[in-house]
Amino acid sequence: MLERELKVTNRLGLHARAAAKLVQLLSGFQSQVTLTGRGREVNAKSIMGVLLLAAAPGATLLVRIEGDDEAAAMEAAAALFERRFDEDG
Amino acid sequence: MRRALRGVSASRGIALGRVRIRTPQALAVEERRIPADDVPDEILRLHRALDATRRELHGLRERLHGALAQEVGEFLDLHAMILDDPELLHGLDDLVSTGRYSADYALKLQRDRLAAVFEGMHDDYFRSRREDLDHVIGRVHAALQQRNHDAERGFAGDILVCETIAPQELAELQSQGVVAVVAAAGSPLSHSAILARSLHLPLVLGAGELLALANDGDALMVDAGTGELVLEPDAGDLKRYHRREAEISREQAQLSRLRRQPTRTLDGVDVRLYANAESREDVAEAHALGADGIGLYRTEFLFLQRRELPGEEEQFLAYRDLVLGMAGRVVTIRTLDLGADKADHSGLTLRSEPNPALGLRGVRLSLAHEALFLTQLRAILRAAAYGPVRVLVPMVCCREEMQSVVAMLEAARISLRADGLQAGERVELGAMIEVPAAALGLADFIDLVDFVSVGTNDLVQYLLAVDRGHESLSTLYTPRHPALLRLLSELFAYGRRNGIPVAVCGEMASEAANVPLLLALGLRDFSLHPSTLLEVRRAIRDADHASLRRRAQSLLRAHDRAGIEKWLAR
Repeated sequence: MLERELKVTNRLGLHARAAAKLVQLLSGFQSQVTLTGRGREVNAKSIMGVLLLAAAPGATLLVRIEGDDEAAAMEAAAALFERRFDEDG
Repeated sequence: MRRALRGVSASRGIALGRVRIRTPQALAVEERRIPADDVPDEILRLHRALDATRRELHGLRERLHGALAQEVGEFLDLHAMILDDPELLHGLDDLVSTGRYSADYALKLQRDRLAAVFEGMHDDYFRSRREDLDHVIGRVHAALQQRNHDAERGFAGDILVCETIAPQELAELQSQGVVAVVAAAGSPLSHSAILARSLHLPLVLGAGELLALANDGDALMVDAGTGELVLEPDAGDLKRYHRREAEISREQAQLSRLRRQPTRTLDGVDVRLYANAESREDVAEAHALGADGIGLYRTEFLFLQRRELPGEEEQFLAYRDLVLGMAGRVVTIRTLDLGADKADHSGLTLRSEPNPALGLRGVRLSLAHEALFLTQLRAILRAAAYGPVRVLVPMVCCREEMQSVVAMLEAARISLRADGLQAGERVELGAMIEVPAAALGLADFIDLVDFVSVGTNDLVQYLLAVDRGHESLSTLYTPRHPALLRLLSELFAYGRRNGIPVAVCGEMASEAANVPLLLALGLRDFSLHPSTLLEVRRAIRDADHASLRRRAQSLLRAHDRAGIEKWLAR
């Protein structure tokens, strides 16, 4: 199992569009993925779950991945956070 | 047992038919258990509905590509993702197989479970997530019920009794044989109401009680003109119905004699009656009723009712048919007037804006998508080679926007020339006056327009700050407000002094009862739906223009609605 803290740095936070990107990305992996923010743990492959976090800009989320492709999944997730969900200029 | 109820009239006409209840709302699904033997079939039914909804969302997504698609697409993508959300799907089969719940109820349980988690979060955020969820569940419920309907007889002779009705459903329901629609919610000013009038489909709103009282198959009598509803009518009611039926056909016969008559007041003043149109049928009707032209052709329906965004060639053919259909009479084509409020239940809304009435809509949207706008302008210019065409720009609020439109129109002309395509020589350009700033600032851009058309539906909404769809504000929403009348009077006078025709194309001009008022204020160009064209013509023919104009000052002195209505009654 891998764990890592990722920071939401895009301008709008983890709103619908960014959440959709994250869910789409992670759904391509076999591993189980959860996100934890403000004491709430959600299924990161569930759009409703990710939206429930309502993570604002600056928030830090704990990503927990378990499965055969956990390393690749973590790398992809971290890259998406770092790219600010491809949305800010 | 006979029950008499009353709703709000939204589209006139009478009907007698069988009740058909529809409850597509997630919350309205009743708890229902199924026998063990039915479980496999129920699970099959559930998955077929999920698949159908998936295809439907995918289809909507495919339909849209190009300029608009990005925003609409993201919205649809979100809904497609909710449909595939493991949190929603997980346990759904179990609820049916172990819990023995009907598929509809199992979905509702999942919906409630997911929605409950959002309770206690920031209000707007919670509400918008719940709306997304309900939108998706509602689609699946509709798909489940559709499957039910397939097994039953069609809709012939049915009166649909439902919670809400979306505009794009109406034409389909009518073609399936629905004779009237009664809905619990909605406003007579909504687009559904406008469309129902265009289809001559009786529509009564605000009749929530009926939804609770009626059962499928009950007989229902509807007089959508008065909003009167009679469940299980008795012999006396039926007699009254047939008398009303005869009355209506007599009135129709009387009105139809006005088809070939000029629209001229008693004292010989000619008034122009243009038709508002959005379909081929409207255009044919406008022509048959002797309209002076098309005063407002709504192009968004070309965009919404199709499987993909129409390209230039298709738009050109549609506009050309329109021009040919009016046989030399002027055709006013309004450029795309989409906004987040326009496609309410269709899934085509541009994005969930916090305040759609003040958002990216009308000309703002067109100017934000130049390629889309250029395509439409090229198509309009090409159609103009076949007859007189005017371009009408919606939601203008300042000079800069009209300047941009003028530049775009010129760019469209130049690009057509470069492509060796023919364009109409003289195409007049007009602005819709809907935003108070445009009404007050017409002088600032009057040099850029050849005509203006006042969209009173939106102008009233923006001037009075009253949402036209807001049910509890419906008494506040009225064009019979002294401030609106004074504004109209000034607009008409300013147009007259500058040789710029000013038309009114809102619902206000479609009501025969408003004719004396509008003539008194100085209106000479009406643009209205063909369904009331003959009534308005009759009211104009019964009016004495000079005496109404003399009474204008006393109308403008009215301080309230009562004063205006007192003036009208005199």
